[in-house]
Amino acid sequence: MKLIKKQIPLAIVFITGVLTLVSYYVPNKTSVNYIETMNKWENIVVAFAFLLGLVSLFFSHYHKLKKKADGWGYSIFVFVGFFAIVIPAYVSGGKQMTDAGLTPLGWSFKYIYNALSGTMFAVLAFYIVSTAYRSFRIKSMQAFVLFVAAFILILGKVPLGQMIWDAVLGWTGAGVNNVIDWIMQVPAVAGKRGIMIGISIGAIVTSLKIIFGIEKQYMGKD
Amino acid sequence: MFKEKLQKFFKIDRRWIFLLLAITLFVPIIKPLGLPNKTIAEATSRVYENIEKLPPGSFVLFSFDYDPSTRPELHPMAFALVRHAFSRNLRVGVVTYIAGSTGLIEELFAKVSKEYNKTDGKDYVILPYMPNILAVLTQMSSDLYGIYTKDRNGTPLQDMPVLKGVKNYKDMSLIVCVTGTAILDYWVAFVGDKYSVPVAGGVTAISQPGYGPYLQTNQLKGLIGGMKGAAEYESLIKQPGKGTSGIDALNLAHLLVLVLILTSNIILLIVKYF
Amino acid sequence: MSETWIILGGWLAAGLTIFLFSFLYKDNPFFKIAEHLYLGAGMGWLFQVSVANVWIPKIWEPVSKGELLVIIPSIMGLSLLTQFIPKISWISRYGFTFMMGYGSGLAIPAGLSTDFMSQVEGTIKPFSLLASMSPFAIFNSLLIAFGAICVLFYFFFSVEHKGHLKKVSNVGIYFLMIYFGAAFGNTVMARFSLLYGRFDDLYTFAGTKYLYATQIILAGMVLYFLAHWLSAGRHKVPSEENA
Repeated sequence: MKLIKKQIPLAIVFITGVLTLVSYYVPNKTSVNYIETMNKWENIVVAFAFLLGLVSLFFSHYHKLKKKADGWGYSIFVFVGFFAIVIPAYVSGGKQMTDAGLTPLGWSFKYIYNALSGTMFAVLAFYIVSTAYRSFRIKSMQAFVLFVAAFILILGKVPLGQMIWDAVLGWTGAGVNNVIDWIMQVPAVAGKRGIMIGISIGAIVTSLKIIFGIEKQYMGKD
Repeated sequence: MFKEKLQKFFKIDRRWIFLLLAITLFVPIIKPLGLPNKTIAEATSRVYENIEKLPPGSFVLFSFDYDPSTRPELHPMAFALVRHAFSRNLRVGVVTYIAGSTGLIEELFAKVSKEYNKTDGKDYVILPYMPNILAVLTQMSSDLYGIYTKDRNGTPLQDMPVLKGVKNYKDMSLIVCVTGTAILDYWVAFVGDKYSVPVAGGVTAISQPGYGPYLQTNQLKGLIGGMKGAAEYESLIKQPGKGTSGIDALNLAHLLVLVLILTSNIILLIVKYF
Repeated sequence: MSETWIILGGWLAAGLTIFLFSFLYKDNPFFKIAEHLYLGAGMGWLFQVSVANVWIPKIWEPVSKGELLVIIPSIMGLSLLTQFIPKISWISRYGFTFMMGYGSGLAIPAGLSTDFMSQVEGTIKPFSLLASMSPFAIFNSLLIAFGAICVLFYFFFSVEHKGHLKKVSNVGIYFLMIYFGAAFGNTVMARFSLLYGRFDDLYTFAGTKYLYATQIILAGMVLYFLAHWLSAGRHKVPSEENA
């Protein structure tokens, strides 16, 4: 049983990992065929992965409905939302636009999904402003440097800010857009490059650990 | 007494701040300030020049990977890029790896293809959504028909005029990925670097600073960043759109944040030292 | 789509947008309804796209034509679902290990060349071109190299920074702060842009074409909160503690 439960899965990760890695560096017909097959397979496997989210969402709201738990009435709307997309999709055969204009699916996208998804993230704008007011403290030299960089970026990205800059600092001869370009191309590159190199080393080590079966937390417990 | 008042002001109910932001952002929409974007970042003009220099008929691949949650920043960029490509009579292919972007792509082409009198299948092709980007990007290096056989409406790709002579990256002149995710990183790592195809990008302002290193090494041939970038590109192609009006609306809100940060820090200084 | 459907759509979109924003004032049933609709609709969208773009063309059609090889990855994909049944959840390992092996195998060479070697090269390369560079460009190249090294020092010698090492890694922090400051400044613009997008739509729906959807729904929300406030005995609105 251990063989099926543990050793074969670990062998799969090792074999696909090593072969995929090797095929990157050894371009010949066999490796191309191998990677092409794996590409198609991976594409299909991943197309099932989202079912994990779907099933757990439906399970939890179905249970709420069944038990009439607190706020169970709202759970109905999870299913309403789901079918408000899936039924029009079925009716329209998956097409969103025809020569005649929007299909029912296109309509659902434009007026339901677009409005909901867009607003969910737009709300964050309010929180970033109140956080800026309440928590942006210039207490140390480091915080001051962060503030100066942020200040220049926020000011210089809008025309009104550029006008203010020109009025106050125009005599220096450096436009705020030049300063922003410099920040983005020099010190920010240095900071980000350090992070990038650091992360890449970490990622390579983790990937090797996965291939060689040292890191196997994703497999869960026995 | 004065100190207490200040402290009270500092601890103001945050909903007043919410209201203030709502007003400073909504009023310019009703009554635009009329302050257009004037400056153009170097990275944005690099994207423009890379498209501008292509001979008519070249094949450009757009990877539009954004959904409604980042639409206001990225949709105007995608519009401007496609308009630019169509005005230069380039052949356009579109791929996507984000499920939510399919509706936006339809919306874009329904509008822009009419402006330039372009036909689906002849001048452009929209390929269907695919869930696993790595697999598709790797596959397209040898034979894109190994994974894409039909367009998003089920029309077979074989013999489609727009794809004539296009089999893999070697046949593409430029790839531009517009996204609010890490998908641009994949294009750089798995396609640009490996097969030496020029890759450029359009990203949200949030991720823009992170691409500095790739721009410096020329792994990225150019980058459009956020609403400002969209406005810049619109002014480069001389077709103001939602990016231009957007940046106009942001004017007051940007100043509001700066004023708020300064106010709270000055209050705290006064409370501390006086 | 007829005109009626477009107007109806405008009302729906304006309503859902305002309901979600209403949370900023206070939690309420309208917000909760819209929030749950969002969960369902997001999943619905993913579902329909996967069915139309992968399941039918990549699995159903090949299988019905007798190409049975695609059944193997389909079973691996389905095996993921055994996660929900603890007794046989180990079966899902077959799907996961395949995905992990494939992903790791691809990640190593890409990470190595794109984020490591190219970055090191990009830092050093300018120094081979010094002769053709302006003094300012030379200064910038030096600054990038110096900054990147300091940041790496900060990350990798995290044991205990002492003496010169500490100074170097301290300088690294300043480069990081500039990067984070730029990122914060840009985040502000990004968030505002998204809000602008929603406001712009609301403004569209406020027009005569949509029969003033935005104004009427907004007024309805205000009335709701007012009624709620009156019926709740006008007790003081609790002020929020933290942002």
